[in-house]
Amino acid sequence: MGLNAKWSPMYWPCGPKEVARVGASNSGSWELKKVAEGWAHPSALQLLKGTPVNCLLVEWASGAAADKPQQQALQPLLDAGRALGLSFVGKVSAKANPAQSAAAGRAAGLEAVMLEGGASQDLDLPAILEFPRDSIDWDGATGIYSTTGNVWPEINLPTMKGDIALGGPTGDPWVNSNGWFSLLARRMAPEKSLWLSIDLPDFPGMLPAEKYCLAIADSRVYGARGILSLDGQMRTALLNGDAPALDAWSRISETLSFFDRHAAWESYEPMGVLAVVSDFTGSNAFMAGETLNLLNRHQTQFVILDRRRALADPVTKLKAVLWMDDDEPNPAQARNLIAFVRQGGLFIAPKYWGPAGIKPHQEDWLFGYEIYNLGQGRIVVAPGGFSDPYQLAIDAHLLLGRENDLSRLYNPNGTNCYTSMGPDGRELVQILNYSPQAATYVALWIKAKARGAKLWSPHAQASTSLAGISASQGTSFDLPTVLVHCAVEIERTV
Amino acid sequence: MNRKTSRREFLGAMTMAAGAYIARPALLQAQQAPAGRVAVATCPEYNRQVVDALSTMFDQLGGLDTLVRGKTVAIKLNLTGSATVRLRYLPPEITTWPHPQVIWALVHLLDRAGAQRIRLLESPWATTEPLQEFMVYAGWQPKEFENAARRVEFENTNFLGSGKTYARFMVPGGGLLFTGYDLNHSYRDCDVFISLAKLKEHRTTGVTLSMKNCFGITPCTIYSDFAPEDEPLLVPRGGRSLFHFGNRQPPKSAPPAVNVNSPKEGGYRVPRAVADLVAARPIHLAVIDGIYSMAGGEIPNQYGGYHIPVHPGLLIAGTNCVSTDAVAMALMGFDPMADRGVHPFETSDNMLHLAEHLGVGTPDLTRIEVAGAPIAKARFDFRKVKLSAA
Repeated sequence: MGLNAKWSPMYWPCGPKEVARVGASNSGSWELKKVAEGWAHPSALQLLKGTPVNCLLVEWASGAAADKPQQQALQPLLDAGRALGLSFVGKVSAKANPAQSAAAGRAAGLEAVMLEGGASQDLDLPAILEFPRDSIDWDGATGIYSTTGNVWPEINLPTMKGDIALGGPTGDPWVNSNGWFSLLARRMAPEKSLWLSIDLPDFPGMLPAEKYCLAIADSRVYGARGILSLDGQMRTALLNGDAPALDAWSRISETLSFFDRHAAWESYEPMGVLAVVSDFTGSNAFMAGETLNLLNRHQTQFVILDRRRALADPVTKLKAVLWMDDDEPNPAQARNLIAFVRQGGLFIAPKYWGPAGIKPHQEDWLFGYEIYNLGQGRIVVAPGGFSDPYQLAIDAHLLLGRENDLSRLYNPNGTNCYTSMGPDGRELVQILNYSPQAATYVALWIKAKARGAKLWSPHAQASTSLAGISASQGTSFDLPTVLVHCAVEIERTV
Repeated sequence: MNRKTSRREFLGAMTMAAGAYIARPALLQAQQAPAGRVAVATCPEYNRQVVDALSTMFDQLGGLDTLVRGKTVAIKLNLTGSATVRLRYLPPEITTWPHPQVIWALVHLLDRAGAQRIRLLESPWATTEPLQEFMVYAGWQPKEFENAARRVEFENTNFLGSGKTYARFMVPGGGLLFTGYDLNHSYRDCDVFISLAKLKEHRTTGVTLSMKNCFGITPCTIYSDFAPEDEPLLVPRGGRSLFHFGNRQPPKSAPPAVNVNSPKEGGYRVPRAVADLVAARPIHLAVIDGIYSMAGGEIPNQYGGYHIPVHPGLLIAGTNCVSTDAVAMALMGFDPMADRGVHPFETSDNMLHLAEHLGVGTPDLTRIEVAGAPIAKARFDFRKVKLSAA
């Protein structure tokens, strides 16, 4: 018994606790209560037959009197599920006694518990620690760990919430994505698996399948797993055997299967010649995190480096280093960074840590920065420190120069792309469409010379061939309509 | 607004609206507005033939040497909209922007004619980024332009740029929309000013050619919704909506509106701004790329318009922007003397007439000498193509 990185988790709300929750909520309805009871019945598991979902997350203990009836009510479900090869993880809240809850869970057939808050103790079961995203303990995270506070991936249509700007005044549509955070998690806890807990968005009616597929893709493309959670109307409709819901479920399942078939992609390394360096904790977390988010949105390919461990060796394969934190590089880092700049590298920092005696200059187009020429490279400093991640992401991209782009989308609208490389050197560009409308006439440009590419999409078993068109010292691919996601596997010209 | 107006009514309305502000000498100038010779060439593709065609056309206009030898030449490109937006899969140079081959050929010929310094200018959308970066974003290689001549420079003119102050251009006769305009220094610090445009229709002004291209010389640090009341922004934000809607005035540091109560309607305001600009910052050479283009509007996928790629196979050039645009309009199947309400001016005043009345030039084809391919033979009817495609 142990945590299994191949688990494909799904939240399975049922039993007395769910009935009570539905009853207490304003939207509580007789039908939803019935569904909560129905999903506790073993027959509901038939829904999972032939799907990749193999791990169900159930409410287990919250330190309340209702824990016992809940656990008893779930027993038939657990027994039936285990017979079908399913694993169960019980959710244990901070108020419950973890040791007792785990012991009861072990007896009932749980394979792990998800602990809300606090560190894992000596338990009878493996633990999955759950953290709020903005206060995660990377070193303390368990083999599988979960975060809350994630966003539902979509285009964020409102531009203002009260006095807070949610969208930029111009430019690309504002997109909510957890991609940057999943990439950060891969760097900060490389041997561990991240499960994203994502609250469902408000929606009048059953959420369309595409929205679920996008949530899955936005997690899997970047190497994390979203905990699948269906809305109440979908669960009701599925229990009733409604055809539209079954069709939606089939498409959701197809998307999960697609990413399982291509699980190897999750280990592909992000490509980028810009390194973003921070410890991504405490007071540095917001600025550094939001800069990653916006760099990704601007299709600036980057790699993430943990400041505590990075740059101990000479810098290679990079064109630029964006040092986010006010903390000074340690002597080895400083030595390597200066050598990197002398050889033509770009170092962007909130303070100047270069050799003394160099007089900075400014450029007409770049407001708020001082530029120090050093050897063949430049150190670019924001004297007042970094304050606006939106502007910093734009400036970093322009300072690096678009000639260093590795990939780019034309007619992007609500799409974004993520470029990675497999161990065999094969490049993969995954395109996500965050818009509810299908993305048409999107063209992908990559810097590499390629003779063609394979196009994969979740709703087709086999790949199709894409012809490459030589363009701008690279290759362009005209993509067919992108509903939610597609992947372009590049066949490079040797 | 889509009203039918006779030419007489149009001119009357225009005179009334601007009457108090247009000096009488300007009205007199209208009667004498000059006509420039316009050269037209058929050129089916973007290849080396473009150099030959342009070279012949410039000879037909009297030669580039006398115009540019030893001079600083500024070229306003027509890189409108986003660098990543395309009509279907077609790159912008095929539908929206002048093709790099045409830019390269023009730069090369200017250099060959002895231009001392050639400056490529544009005001990319809401950014201070170097113009070269914007070109790279579109998939272009600006180094090719640098290699076309001995000294080529680029400047993003959507903000102060490398200048210390904005250059002020007052409109002769007082102006139709504003008395003057504050622009990036590049439009002052040149001896010769060229407008290099694409042959296109335009949602607001009917067509966008060498004159309308100059709408983009106005910096959005001053002429956008986001500019402060007193001074320009440092960094441009947003578009030039105050020209379209008259919803606000530019900062107090800029020349004021002729009449703050003038109509708040794009079809009235934008043509007047264009006429003002080409009167205040005269164009010495107008060049229009009509080899490939699109029908139906100026920017793909904008405003839900129906845009289709077209292949007129034409190059047009002239030393008078009004006459050049008049010939270009005729080649597109439009009457350059048309009044508001008649296509392509269904919802706008005719900016060519407005410029004519500022003394810039005549759109009267009977007064314009056309060299090269005759209009009747080279005509490519944009609306007919659009209709047949629809």
